[in-house]
Amino acid sequence: MKRDRDREREKKSFNGGVSNGGSSGKGKIWEEDEEETPDAGMDELLAVLGYKVKSSDMADVAQKLEQLEMAMGTTMEDGITHLSTDTVHKNPSDMAGWVQSMLSSISTNFDMCNQENELVLSGCGSSSSIIDFSRNEQNHLTTTISDDDLRAIPGGAVFNSDSNKRQRSSSSFSTSMLTDSSAARPVVLVDSQETGVRLVHTLMACAEAVQQENLTLADQLVRHIGILAVSQSGAMRKVATYFAEALARRIYKIYPQDSIESSYTDVLQMHFYETCPYLKFAHFTANQAILEAFTGCNKVHVIDFSLKQGMQWPALMQALALRPGGPPAFRLTGIGPPQPDNTDALQQVGWKLAQLAETIGVEFEFRGFVANSLADLDATILDIRPSETEAVAINSVFELHRLLSRPGAIEKVLNSIKQINPKIVTLVEQEANHNAGVFIDRFNEALHYYSTMFDSLESSGSSSSASPTGILPQPPVNNQDLVMSEVYLGRQICNVVACEGSDRVERHETLNQWRVRMNSSGFDPVHLGSNAFKQASMLLALFAGGDGYRVEENDGCLMLGWHTRPLIATSAWKLLPDSGTGAGEVEL
Amino acid sequence: MVQFENGTNFFINDNVDVLIVILQRLDGGSLGVAACVCKLWCSITRNDSLWEHLCFRHVSPPPEGVRTVVLALGGYQRLYMVCVKPVLDRLRKWKKGTGFDESEVMRRVWMQHEVELSLSLFCVDYYERVFLGGGGGGGGASLMFLCNAVNV
Repeated sequence: MKRDRDREREKKSFNGGVSNGGSSGKGKIWEEDEEETPDAGMDELLAVLGYKVKSSDMADVAQKLEQLEMAMGTTMEDGITHLSTDTVHKNPSDMAGWVQSMLSSISTNFDMCNQENELVLSGCGSSSSIIDFSRNEQNHLTTTISDDDLRAIPGGAVFNSDSNKRQRSSSSFSTSMLTDSSAARPVVLVDSQETGVRLVHTLMACAEAVQQENLTLADQLVRHIGILAVSQSGAMRKVATYFAEALARRIYKIYPQDSIESSYTDVLQMHFYETCPYLKFAHFTANQAILEAFTGCNKVHVIDFSLKQGMQWPALMQALALRPGGPPAFRLTGIGPPQPDNTDALQQVGWKLAQLAETIGVEFEFRGFVANSLADLDATILDIRPSETEAVAINSVFELHRLLSRPGAIEKVLNSIKQINPKIVTLVEQEANHNAGVFIDRFNEALHYYSTMFDSLESSGSSSSASPTGILPQPPVNNQDLVMSEVYLGRQICNVVACEGSDRVERHETLNQWRVRMNSSGFDPVHLGSNAFKQASMLLALFAGGDGYRVEENDGCLMLGWHTRPLIATSAWKLLPDSGTGAGEVEL
Repeated sequence: MVQFENGTNFFINDNVDVLIVILQRLDGGSLGVAACVCKLWCSITRNDSLWEHLCFRHVSPPPEGVRTVVLALGGYQRLYMVCVKPVLDRLRKWKKGTGFDESEVMRRVWMQHEVELSLSLFCVDYYERVFLGGGGGGGGASLMFLCNAVNV
């Protein structure tokens, strides 16, 4: 293999370079070498192979070989390894020149691609005409698209000359490539941290292009993202891939169908539930608030705005079963979307919960309502019994933000809630503003949010293998769960970036935005107590990678985040005594 | 067998009540080992009340009404193996890390919370296992995170 030979040469060259002059080194290290030195001062080991390299140049040549190897290694998938075998060597005895000629041929290869307005490094693909961007003042674009691509990328990522993260001079090498000739393009991606920065900048540049309806440029940038993403690994690669796909959908107007099997979304959410603590945190904190609101009540009724698999309710029923004084009569109303195969998913879940309730000795009643949107329901449909006999709690986990896609829907639902007159309303939402009017703002916000999310998934998925804890066999970490969780998040990304109008349902808003909305609609915040905080902290401590998760208390609400970035927020609300149509609240 | 001075022999297997008192003081791993000794010991250690004692020996007072619920959800032995032991282990490491207040009252309060959390997780595990087809192996999938060593 050529590379092995290079490496061997490199090793020899290092050995040769360490000792002063070839002749003295030879005796110490390579006993079996018996060749004569053809020229004084030339490294004799390489001379054997036909290369004339001065010993004083050895270190330099070795370095170049190293860089070349790195370049070939990192860009292997882009198909430039053929250069190592196909490049014409002008003067085989001039090693330094050979290396230099290989490196410059990489850039000229790219140059040729550029002339054809293609960014694919393998050099294949059809050519398209040069598009005149001179009318676009902002980016100071020239006539070739290649310049646009790279100059459109803001920041020092492209012409960065002071990256100091890597010991090797690879970064300085790439900048020397940059400053060398105006024709050479900086495409030898030897520093993956630099490419990471470039990737982010390219994503933002592409979004900017989409914002300005510059779809051809956006198209080129999206392909460039694909190339760059390949050189990354782990979370960054996945995030970039999902965002690139979403951008591509937006550019080509291939919008994903929103109402694909909701049962599929349920399955994905189950995997998400199992892989990371966000949903568990949501359920446990909401349950704690509901439990505290229900103290002293003998009949309780919970309305769940998105029942899905009903994973939240076993824990609440168990807590109710074990509360001092015995369990109350528990009624659950579950709301869900229509199923494409007309199965009654809600009834099935209700049946399972009923069996569980019977097992643990809680009186249980269930009703399911199928609705396309929460706005289709109101208090009269939901069979609310008088509040003197029955206490009501309303629970919404990642559901209310969907109402923001249609004007007037959220107000209607909040009014219905007021008519229901609940003891408590628990609200869990993503802590991010993905509902800004300007696309580029939404995009940047989403990029940061989902990068953090994927980072946290990455750490929980890669945590150590199972250790046996006694009698029960422990299965190994399930990678399928991880992948499905990523698909789950990927669909959200697609919706935020690619869809518009009433299709864009993932309209996340921050806790403060929800606070303003709830306050102005006549709701009062209920502080989630220290019990909820403790339980949440303990729950997170149980998770592998748990030291990255943070529970924060934010003015009575709890937020779960990854390191410094809060990702979801739980809040609880009750009606102000003088608003709503019900009788006055009974204060506990 | 123990031989007393007056010549009578003492077989532990003839005095099961003494055996039980001894076994009550063991931890989960030792109970597992004890179950391998002989058929009698095996049947005794499988008795759920031993495991109940193990789960709640540090909690005072033991929560009432718990027994019916736990038995219905799979029994104390399962509760201990699947929930209580991992929870206590993990939280012991975590508490050491956070340098938290070791006073008696605080400890009992935390124990109570740990028990409650274990019970909730146990219920979720039951639901998943029985109704949702569960994950692979013996445990419900949502408790998978308890199976993995903590990345401390």
